[in-house]
Formats: sequence, structure tokens, C-alpha cells
Amino acid sequence: MYEKHLMICGATGCLSSNSGKVKEALEAELARRGIKEKYRLVMAGCVGFCEVGPIIVIYPDEVFYCRLKPGDMAELVEKHLIGGEVVERLLYTSPDVEVPGRFYDTIPFYRKQVFNVLRNSGIIDPEIIDEYIMRGGYRAFSRALKMERPQICDEVKRAGLRGRGGAGFPTGMKWEFTMIAPGEKKYVVCNADEGDPGAFMDRSILEGDPHAVIEGMLICGRAIGADEGYIYCRAEYPLAIKRLRIAIAQAEEYGLLGENILASGFNFHLNIKEGAGAFVCGEETALLASIEGKRGMPRPRPPFPAVSGLFGKPTCINNVETFANIPLILREGGVEEFASIGTESSKGTKVFALAGKIRNTGLCEVPMGITIREVIFDVGGGVQGDREFKAVQAGGPSGGCIPAELLDLPIDYDSLTKAGAIMGSGGLVVMDDRTCMVDLARYFLSFTQKESCGKCIPCREGTKRMLEILERICDGSGEPADLDTLESLAFSIKDSALCGLGQTCPNPILSTIRYFRHEYEEHINEQFCRAGVCKALFQYYIDPETCIGCTRCARVCPVSAISGEKKEVHAIDQSLCTRCGSCVEVCPKNSIQITRVRRKADVSS
Amino acid sequence: MERFIDPCCERCTHTTKTPCKDFVECCVEGPLCHEDEACAAKRKALIDKVAINNKFVIC
Repeated sequence: MYEKHLMICGATGCLSSNSGKVKEALEAELARRGIKEKYRLVMAGCVGFCEVGPIIVIYPDEVFYCRLKPGDMAELVEKHLIGGEVVERLLYTSPDVEVPGRFYDTIPFYRKQVFNVLRNSGIIDPEIIDEYIMRGGYRAFSRALKMERPQICDEVKRAGLRGRGGAGFPTGMKWEFTMIAPGEKKYVVCNADEGDPGAFMDRSILEGDPHAVIEGMLICGRAIGADEGYIYCRAEYPLAIKRLRIAIAQAEEYGLLGENILASGFNFHLNIKEGAGAFVCGEETALLASIEGKRGMPRPRPPFPAVSGLFGKPTCINNVETFANIPLILREGGVEEFASIGTESSKGTKVFALAGKIRNTGLCEVPMGITIREVIFDVGGGVQGDREFKAVQAGGPSGGCIPAELLDLPIDYDSLTKAGAIMGSGGLVVMDDRTCMVDLARYFLSFTQKESCGKCIPCREGTKRMLEILERICDGSGEPADLDTLESLAFSIKDSALCGLGQTCPNPILSTIRYFRHEYEEHINEQFCRAGVCKALFQYYIDPETCIGCTRCARVCPVSAISGEKKEVHAIDQSLCTRCGSCVEVCPKNSIQITRVRRKADVSS
Repeated sequence: MERFIDPCCERCTHTTKTPCKDFVECCVEGPLCHEDEACAAKRKALIDKVAINNKFVIC
């Protein structure tokens, strides 16, 4: 028996913040004191709060330590493990908490979260199958083996689970289509090709609880009559792939994968296919082509994969989060419990990755129906630097932006679609008043344009033409007719592109025009970028009323464009200024302001 | 018994070649096919080693 369990966040985010070094330092300190055997150290899955990593949660005390450094470990061992005293300075502190947060209940980031999919992440060792089994793992599968196949599909349907990968198609219905499709050989495929910029929900699930996904796939295999599955995971997720390989090997050793599983006569084998990182391979038919060893390009549907998928056989494709929900639904009483969370049309929880100009970057799991305001301000802590919230991009490059006036929109599939966005896989990129919405549309379109596979003309040529127009607008050469052309092109591409990537890539443009048309018009008609992003469309000036002559701006300017004596008002030489924004970042009085470019015509007048 | 896959005694026959239908439930609640306090204690010892609190185990 261990005296305490120290769960160190060993997911990619915290590893990047040096949690591996923290663990080494902790081990060394325990070894130095000769007390290593008393404590269990686990590199566990993500606990979500990446902003304050590296994180260690100590059980059974349930104390949450964050922003840890290797040098903190001697004190942690001395005071907490040996002395039984909480190390206050390593607890969570923030302007939004009165006293340092000791654990989940007292840390605002966690208060509105509901852990379904992330139920085991940070609690178990993801590399030990026994711990997953202790948490009720594989019981749903064991139960499914005793059920009739239509009964399994029916339970998934009744739970109301919709695909968590993007479009939100009812999962039970997809399973039923594949189940009734004729054919001896069928496949289950897990789409782990998470490609949206800023999204890491699926990676965290795979790193923190790989058996939940395997169990979901096993249940699907049993329901549809498949005996083989593939997990298509991008190669730049090495830790997720490593943990999946370990999990698959353990499940095989335990007789939970393979032949005649649990004496049921059901056989199921699981393979991992590493993807090369093409965004289009997240589209199901391109993904299947890639598994088959072909170039990852989509094909027209129908036939849908449920009828003719991998190697021409009926195939059920779901994403990581969808599969991770399945064991919850198929356990005894799971349908009712699952359906009790969420809204009428969107059941359960959703995992979101919070990124951009948000204070609490990280991963959160919230009930469907929660408002965007609650996610951004209550869970996410609001906008960094207390700046003004401008919009949030939901659904990545295929999604749309949601402006401040829709902050009270409930997060569910239908509300987001009505607002011009999509649920997508769950990326939420927050933007403040310093984000230019035209530039944002340009950024996302440049991403989809580069990732376009080139197979269909609307996407290949249309994205190129739209990008040219957006670049022209950002450069100050936009024309009044450009807006109409952009909208017309966007609707044409939506209607005629071959796959989901092409059909949804105009969404960022359409939603920014819908909610921020005035910014486009300002760029085109007034050659002004109010956010100070499009460099040809603004100038910096120093407000003489507020400048205190601290010289910080002059010292950081990389091109020596700022001059002025100490304690005197400074000035910017516009002929030298590159508008890099370094001065804005360091000015303590917010004296660096944005103004319209003074053009030759202005000077002469 | 270091892991759930290890047999608690010679009466446990679960392997990939000779699978037991109750293996999953047996891991936490077992033994199910026979009664033996020592076998139950072996499972409990495995659980007690890693259970971080009294809500950890889910049956």
C-alpha cells in the first residue's frame, strides 16, 4: 500500500512544460531520502488545465499543485509528503479566486465541468489495463457481448449520441446502417486524424484513456458484425500512438482483443495506421483511401462507407470522442444516465480545446447546452489581459466565428449551425479586440487552401481565388465589388465541392462577413484596419497626453524608429516603423495607438 | 497475482486460448467461479495498491 499517489500530468501539453523533469526531480528527492517505496508516481493523462502546467494532484489528499518546477520538489516532499502540510505557494492562484485553490471544487476552471469522456484521465495510469478495468472498464463490452446486435444499436440511438467529429450525425443510426449492410467482412474505423489548428481533444483522450476508445470500437464491432478495426492517428501524436500500442497489446494479452473474446465467439483485431498529417485525411473517404495505401483524396458519396467503405466493405467510422462515450452508454443504466445530460437534440457532454486569447488555455468537458459565455468566462477565465471579447471561432477552419452578441448562445449542434458555425471536433479559438476578422478569414482560408487535395475544381480553384481577394483586401487593394464576389464564390463552393473540407471551408469567410461586414468595408473603402493587424492599413502613433517617456518602446524597437528623451514624449518615425507591435506590448500606459495611414493625398490637402 | 491476467489459483482458467466469459467482472468482484477468501484477497490487494480514494473502483 502506498501512503500517497502522485498523479503527474504526463500528457503532451504538460510534457512540453517540463513535467518529465519534474517527475525526475521528484523521484530523485524521494530516493535521496530513502522513501521512494512509500509513494506511487504516475505519469497520468491530461487534467485539462494546460495553462498552469506542469500539474501534480496528490491523492487521497486531493491537493492540486501547479506551475511546478523541478526545484519545487524538495519542498513538496519535505512539507507535504513528510510533514503533512499543504504547500500554499504551489497551489492555484489567480485574480478570480479569493484563497488559493486546493482542488477541483475550489478552482473555477473545473466548477462547471462534467467528466464523462475524461472520466479516467489524470486518475489512472493509462499504460496499465488493470486500472481501466477497476474503473468499470470493459464491463460495457462484456454486457454488449450478451446482447443482440440490433439491441446495441438501439441503446446508442436511444442515448441520443451524435458524432463528435464534426457534423453530428446520430451514431446509433450510422451503426444500424452498417449493421444491416450486406457483407461478410466489415470494418470499424476510428478517426483520430485531429487536424484543426488549436484542437487537441482526441490526442488527450488517447493519451489519457486509450482503453475507453478501444472498448468503444469493440462494442461497435460487435454491433455491426465487424471483426477488424483501424485507428487512423496522425504520426505527430507519438505519445498517443505509443499508449495505443501498449493498450492494444495488453487487451490482446487479456483476451479482450483477438479470437473468441470472452468465450463469446466474437473475434476482433485492431490495427493502427499512422497518418502523415494531411488535413483532408480527416474526411472519411480520404481517410479510408489513406488506410488502403492510396493518396488521401475524398471520393463522391454515395455510396457511403456504411455500404462501401474500407476495401469496398461496409465500414463504420467514428471519431475518438464518439467511441470514448460508448462504454458509458452500454453499461447497465447508461442510456438514461447519458441522456440526462444535455439538450433535447444534443445529449451528453462535449470536450473543447480552449485556445487563442483566453486566460485558461486547456481542455474542458462541459454539458451540451452550456452557453458560450459560461465556457469562455467561467471555465476559460475570460479574455487574456482583460481585453474586450470580440468573437470565438468554433469548429476550426471548417467552422465559423461567433460574435460577442451571441455569447449566450447554448452550445449544441443546432444552435451553432444556425449561427453559421459548427460544433466541429471541439476547437474554440478566442479572439479579442486586437484580432482583425478579415485577417482571421484570410488565415483560415490560407490553411484550407494549402490543405486542399486539388481533386475537385470548386475547392482547388475557388479557395485560391477567394484567398487572392482576401489578401488584396488585407493589403489595402480591395475593391467594393470584392465582397459580393467573395460571397458568391463562397456559396458556389459550399454547393459544389466534393467533400466536407471544401463544402465547409467558406464558413469562416461567410461568418465574418455576416457579423463583421463593417470591418471588411473599412478595409476596402477606408483602407483602415482597426485591429492593427493588416500592416498596410494602419500606423502607430504615440499619444502625447499619456506618454511618460519611460523609453521602453524605444529600447525594444528593432528598427530604432522611436526617439525621445527620458521623461519626455516619444515619437515614431513612420518611414522606419515596420508595425511589428513590440512597442505596444511593453508600453505601461497604453500610449501606442492606432491611426489611419496618412497617404500622400492627405498630406497635400 | 501481480496483475488481473495472472490466475489467482489453479481453478482460474482464463487465457486467450481458454477464455472465460466472466473474466472482466471477475477482476474486481471475483473470484466468481469458486469461493476462496485468499483468491478474493489477492484481487483486493491489487486494487488497494492503486485505488487513489474510495470512489476509484466502479463495479
